[in-house]
Amino acid sequence: MATASETTLVTTHNESGTKWWTRFLDPSERTLAVLLLMPAALLLTLIIVYPVCRLIWTSFQSLSLTSGLPATFAGLENYTLMLEDPVFWETTWNTVLITLITVPGALFVGLALALMANLPFNVKWPVRLSLLIPWALPLSFAGLIFAWFFHSEYGVVNDVLRRIGIEGVIWFNSANWAFAAICLTIVWKTSSFMALIILAGLQTIPRSLYEAADVDGAGRLRQFFEITLPLLKPAIVVALIFRTITALQTFDIPFTMTRGGPGTSTATLAMYIHQNTVDFLDLGYGSALAVVMFALSMGVTAVYLRMIRAKG
Amino acid sequence: MSHDTTASRSLFSGKPLRILIGFILVVNGMFPALWILFTSLKTESELTLKPITWLPHAPTIANYLRAFTDQPLLLFLFNSFMVAILSTALTLFISVLAAYALARLQLRARDLILSAIIAVSTFPLVTLLVPLFEIMRALGLLNTWVALILPYTVLSLPVCTLILVSFFEGIPRDLENSAMIDGCTRIGALFKVVVPLSAPGVFTAGILAFVNAWDEFLLALSFNSNPALRTLPVGITLYQGEFAFPWPVISAALVVGIVPVAVLIVIFQERVVSGLTSGGIKG
Amino acid sequence: MTLKTTMTLLLAGAAVTLSASVATAQTNLRVFVSSQHRPDVWRKAFDMYEAKNSNVKVTIETGGNTSEQQAQYLNTVMTAKDSSLDIMILDVIRPAQYAAAGWTVPFNEVLGSDAANYMKRYLPAYAEANTVDGKVVALPAFADAMFLYYRKDLLEKHGIQPPQTWDELAAAAKKVTDAEKDPNLQGLSFQGKAIEGAVCTFLLPYWSMGKQLVSDGKLSFDKDAAVKSLKLWKDFVDQGVAKKNIAEVATDDTRKEFQSGNVLFAVNWSYAWGQFQGAESAVKDKVGVVKLPAVQGGQPASCLGGWEWGVSAYSSNKTEAQKLVQYLSSPETSEFMAINASLLPQFPEVYTDADVTKAVPWFANAKPVVETAKARPVTPRYNEVSEIIRTTVNGVLAGQSTPEEGATQMEGRLRRVLR
Repeated sequence: MATASETTLVTTHNESGTKWWTRFLDPSERTLAVLLLMPAALLLTLIIVYPVCRLIWTSFQSLSLTSGLPATFAGLENYTLMLEDPVFWETTWNTVLITLITVPGALFVGLALALMANLPFNVKWPVRLSLLIPWALPLSFAGLIFAWFFHSEYGVVNDVLRRIGIEGVIWFNSANWAFAAICLTIVWKTSSFMALIILAGLQTIPRSLYEAADVDGAGRLRQFFEITLPLLKPAIVVALIFRTITALQTFDIPFTMTRGGPGTSTATLAMYIHQNTVDFLDLGYGSALAVVMFALSMGVTAVYLRMIRAKG
Repeated sequence: MSHDTTASRSLFSGKPLRILIGFILVVNGMFPALWILFTSLKTESELTLKPITWLPHAPTIANYLRAFTDQPLLLFLFNSFMVAILSTALTLFISVLAAYALARLQLRARDLILSAIIAVSTFPLVTLLVPLFEIMRALGLLNTWVALILPYTVLSLPVCTLILVSFFEGIPRDLENSAMIDGCTRIGALFKVVVPLSAPGVFTAGILAFVNAWDEFLLALSFNSNPALRTLPVGITLYQGEFAFPWPVISAALVVGIVPVAVLIVIFQERVVSGLTSGGIKG
Repeated sequence: MTLKTTMTLLLAGAAVTLSASVATAQTNLRVFVSSQHRPDVWRKAFDMYEAKNSNVKVTIETGGNTSEQQAQYLNTVMTAKDSSLDIMILDVIRPAQYAAAGWTVPFNEVLGSDAANYMKRYLPAYAEANTVDGKVVALPAFADAMFLYYRKDLLEKHGIQPPQTWDELAAAAKKVTDAEKDPNLQGLSFQGKAIEGAVCTFLLPYWSMGKQLVSDGKLSFDKDAAVKSLKLWKDFVDQGVAKKNIAEVATDDTRKEFQSGNVLFAVNWSYAWGQFQGAESAVKDKVGVVKLPAVQGGQPASCLGGWEWGVSAYSSNKTEAQKLVQYLSSPETSEFMAINASLLPQFPEVYTDADVTKAVPWFANAKPVVETAKARPVTPRYNEVSEIIRTTVNGVLAGQSTPEEGATQMEGRLRRVLR
């Protein structure tokens, strides 16, 4: 595989007479590993680790930029304030609820889409495209589009309902309907990625397994539950974990659709963090909220890591 | 009778049913985009008709003209594209290196590092807005592409690394070893053998990174306040006025924003899907 | 000082010899202008200033199209202590916040001991909104207020006078909508969506009862008045005077629906007038505008709008910037903006200026409304106060909570913020 130009860079595996640069090009395994991981480590330190440390530190400070006062150490004050803050509890509950609804929702819809897309269509591209378009659509676009869909007077949803004889609702005028509209949008937007991943899993299942099952006289439903699902499990678990984590961070869709309304009934924790830091500039309190979200995400991650470990 | 080779065969069969299913899939995937296309061709007065119209009565491209003249839409597209491309390139470069180390080299801390990468991928960037802003300011990077490229790279780095690790693990070591016997260095072998053989995985990772970057809204809104550096998702919100919310013009801008990605996907769909389907993400 | 004077003289000499090529002494000022307030016309005002002050060059920056987006953008710029902006236009609710955060420089030094007198030139509400603890923290750019727009033709047809109280308005609305039998005709449109306008929605009847929300930086919440205010609006919805989905209605929805002829009374800012009288309007020449009604036995109250010019504390050209702001906040510029951009003047005398009354005749009606408009609470934590009020109003109108529950929640949350 080596090309001619490559030969000038060739190093031998024998130690004698190596120059520093040859050693650089063919270092020991451990050095090489460190070198290869270095760029990622540096970038993650700059963009994640250092900011997280600052964030945790700030969460113990009283720091509101609008007050014009310098930061002071506040101990646990931000956290005790948080426990008494009804909006914190409401937004956290909304976030958990969105996660509990849209993650299984996206899984079931995604599974259905994947099974359907896996059929032997004569023309494959429209099906593929219809899975890829929702996935590639920015969340903020999806929020805008569905806000228009659910518009009580000019939206297509109420128009369809009217045509089939159902009185539409004023979606964004009621906490429950607004919440439902948001969840539907999130499920629509995220199920396609779920479907793509499951589809990937489906196509790795060897045909021979089904042939063997046919020979054994297993019905199709049984084949699905005894062959397809178990073999899909790893793909599904990964997809679920990633979906859960992004669901906990839900921001763009409720932000563009309802801004959290009516009242604060559809606001999420991420929106409340954004509001406290960007709009209210209460960095201390916003950081404490962010730490809570961090803890939630880490909880899910821990479960995930344990699953990976358990599998060996 | 059927030639289907795969699992779903066990649940559905029959041609009319298949056509119906295809129709459902296409409506589910395309209708929102189509509806926005219809909306973008209507006049504001047609939009407030009751009951609403589906297909535009008198299609007009006036909204598109306004979308391009009210705001510098082409510039938004250019910025989005450049930021997405550059951050994708950087993500791929860094994650190829890291994934190779994790997949191939003897690392005692391998599991720890993998766990750390997964942990990092779960951190909500919204919570880091303020510290990140301070860092970008300190580095003098506000209002540059770099201010977005760096965090976008981080956004996709964990998942791309994981995808590539699983791909690299699937490449037989023998191929690599024979390349090294032929005189390749390890890094040479990585880029000459492992990466090309993992092309579908690299491609999947690249598409993921591109879409992530193309999608991002909050950091773009906060770091690049200079109108000349705005990206598309942020740019589109600018059509909204203090009081006005011009749906037809916003729809036109949305359509313009959807088209490039749709075109990319139409061109590369085989590779995107094959990337994902050749075991791209596995447990 | 001598060195500086010598330099200046040398530069002046050089300028003379090089005949007008003064690039070396140029000050570049970056001005943030809200894109919804005709930056194109402001540009002309800057051009006039540049023509008179050849050492100053002004660049305009815009960002975000709504007051909220602009506040977010400016928040990040100011948090970063960024020196790229010299002058910012600020919504009337913000100068106090910016002063408390130390983001703007007071004008007292340039205005000298005469500052208080200088401010007397403006409408009193604007002098007040821009003065914090005796410091002039910003200068008014233009005025605005909320008005009651009504369908002149329909009121005349049914022999009704424009209402003085909200009760009269409800009665008039019922009478007209019953008689017209047009299912699309709404009696009243106002802002129920959780936007800044909803804060005014809440405050209009609250103020009308003579109550204040914040006095001297402390919460002076009157729960009875708050319940009555929320109930007033909710009753409009329940009685069918306002439409059921009023909690979805933002400022421009009110404008659009009135403009298409589907609304009898509308609460809106001054920008709506120009649109109602525009060529695309279905109600052209059928629109009247008066001050907003009062609650029974109360005083009429309007919500003060308008924008102010502030100079960034991080600007490296503060003196030049303040000079420019004094020009921007002068009667001459006000007149120019009134005529060319239909922005309401912050000076009482400009309303009656002959050129202005010729260009925008309805400004004569607007003056008494602007004069009696009240400023929203002045507090550094206004953003939080605003968010609490608007989400409560929105929640009550959507039927999420009763007016009593809403007022209780509002009080509890406000006490946390203004503790």
